[in-house]
Amino acid sequence: MRVLVIEDDREHAEFIEKVLGEAGHDVETIEDGVGGLTRAREDQFDALVVDRMLPEKPGLQLVEEFRNGGGTTPALFLSALSDVDNRVEGLKVGADDYLAKPFAPEELVARVEALGRRQTNSEPPVTKLKVGDLEMDLLSRKVTRGDTRIDLQPREFKLLEYLMRHAGQTVTRTMLLEKVWNYHFDPQTNVIDVHISRLRAKIDKEFESQLLQTVRGAGYCLQA
Amino acid sequence: MKPGPFAFVKTTTFRLALVYSILFALFSAGLLAYLFQATVGAMRVDAKTRLESEFQTLAVAWNTGGPTRLEQSLLERSLVRVRDFTYQFEAADGQIIVGDMPRMPVEPLSEYSVPRPVTFEVERPISDGSPLITTIEGRIVRLGDDSVLLVGIKMDERIRQVSRVTRAVATAAPIGFILALLGGFFSARYAARRAEALTRTAEAVEAGDLSTRAPVIGSGDEFDRLAERLNAMLAKVETLMAATKQAGDSIAHDLRSPLSRLRNRLEAKLRGPIDEVTARDTLGETVEEVDRVLATFNAILRLSRVNEGAEGKMMRLDLSELAEEMAELFEPACEEAGLTFTSDIERGLEIRGDRALLAQAIANLLDNAVKYTPPGESITFRAFRHDGRVAITVEDTGPGIPEKDLERVKTRFVRLDDARTQAGSGLGLAMVEAVAQLHGGELILATGKEGRGLRTTVSFPRDK
Repeated sequence: MRVLVIEDDREHAEFIEKVLGEAGHDVETIEDGVGGLTRAREDQFDALVVDRMLPEKPGLQLVEEFRNGGGTTPALFLSALSDVDNRVEGLKVGADDYLAKPFAPEELVARVEALGRRQTNSEPPVTKLKVGDLEMDLLSRKVTRGDTRIDLQPREFKLLEYLMRHAGQTVTRTMLLEKVWNYHFDPQTNVIDVHISRLRAKIDKEFESQLLQTVRGAGYCLQA
Repeated sequence: MKPGPFAFVKTTTFRLALVYSILFALFSAGLLAYLFQATVGAMRVDAKTRLESEFQTLAVAWNTGGPTRLEQSLLERSLVRVRDFTYQFEAADGQIIVGDMPRMPVEPLSEYSVPRPVTFEVERPISDGSPLITTIEGRIVRLGDDSVLLVGIKMDERIRQVSRVTRAVATAAPIGFILALLGGFFSARYAARRAEALTRTAEAVEAGDLSTRAPVIGSGDEFDRLAERLNAMLAKVETLMAATKQAGDSIAHDLRSPLSRLRNRLEAKLRGPIDEVTARDTLGETVEEVDRVLATFNAILRLSRVNEGAEGKMMRLDLSELAEEMAELFEPACEEAGLTFTSDIERGLEIRGDRALLAQAIANLLDNAVKYTPPGESITFRAFRHDGRVAITVEDTGPGIPEKDLERVKTRFVRLDDARTQAGSGLGLAMVEAVAQLHGGELILATGKEGRGLRTTVSFPRDK
């Protein structure tokens, strides 16, 4: 993926560049808001990573202007302001995701990759998801693996759907809590892990190949 | 600048009072002038009308019967004299035909039949010998045979009344002005004093004493209302300042120790031999420790924002639904920890609240229960109506908390000895309490039903 990072703190920018670079992405960094907006408009990037506090043009304004000018590149806000209100503000002006500083490198990579996927995914409306021999029919809400029918609770269905839509990508625990449960707090106990292990028991336990992998220190990845 | 005893002279209130006094004086003067005009003027007009009609009557007598008839009329009038009138009728040679006065006091016009209005004074001795001066208004006319007729109306009584009114006016006007000025003076001084009290409060606040309050004397006037508003504002500012200060203190105290620990550990490692493995371990530990510090830092900031009421988007929400979701979220984790999880959630519990904060608070309570309850025990999660309020309880059958510590654990960073080995910031219950208070509710910790375990209750006012 080609990612444009708009971040004025050089050390932070270098860290982001390194993290995304190691994950195999092509990163370009701009240090101010005005230049960032120009770059975002003149070139086709796969994702924008925008700091909220920027010289010359604040991140909120940048994304708002970019969207008003017809820009569709998915954008992720990075911010030291992590309150729910700030997050809502960010999403309201047209950002697609919001990540509070400090963040784990895996979290950033996972979220940026989810952004890239979102764009290609949203175009043709999908009715069936498929990862290896695991299939999900979004209309009849049936899940099968090979010839075996798998019964899922509504929440498990939602969880699996999210994992399947982001197949091959690492998704973090906070991403799951945000996207599947719609909560924005940091659970101290392993609530998400337990839901994952229940899901795993249903989709992987009886089968030879394990689709749902744990990515150490980061989260989970569903992969054939 | 120390205000002198006459500082109020400079105040706007005093100036307004002065202007008011002057306006009052002008108004009084205008009113009195009108009164004067209305009384004295009316009297004059009345006298003139009567004089005119008397004169006309005599003119008719002259026209119909000549000098003889006029003389007769005058004589008749002298007998049944209307007290106010005075007559003088002289022949062409100056001989008095009918008359009250020894001689004609004024000269008539030389033309015939053109009456001239005249005013003159007559001096007459009264009983004690002193002269009495009478003012008379009249009409004098030269008649066809060169005789002269003067008809006058005595203005004495009228003039006395007029001068009485004039004197009253002259006396009352300055008194009114002085009273108005005095009134203005005192009200200005009162207002200046009340304003001065507010100024002193503001000065004290400016000097850094946020606990100062403006005096409220209970009169309920604008100054009282202003003082009340000012006090309410000061109370709010004081709370915010205290919250900010507490956050600052917390950051200073409670982040300093983990950071010092971290620093010491790094320094100790630096002194020893470093190979790739130890370096990697140390860096790994360091990152974990820094993450913890950052998490604590975030929790402190968030907590102080909730405490000062800055965060929170209140809207009507279904607490039952939220509780169901949280139960569903935590149930597997409880089972995984070997705990029996029971939830009993009443339907349709509506409150005004912030969904994210409430979720955080419930999660903190459930987190605690899962962390501190040993396997084999149970957790009961309930949401119900109680005494017109809505309550959420999380009850476990674990070891509980000694009675003496029940209040203390709500405080920031208080972690009981048993809990120190567990991960956690020590801010969980402080956060729950802050969220409860933001919603007008409270957090109550109690020992469980059978004398063991811990029951945490958050109760909220219901949305009406």
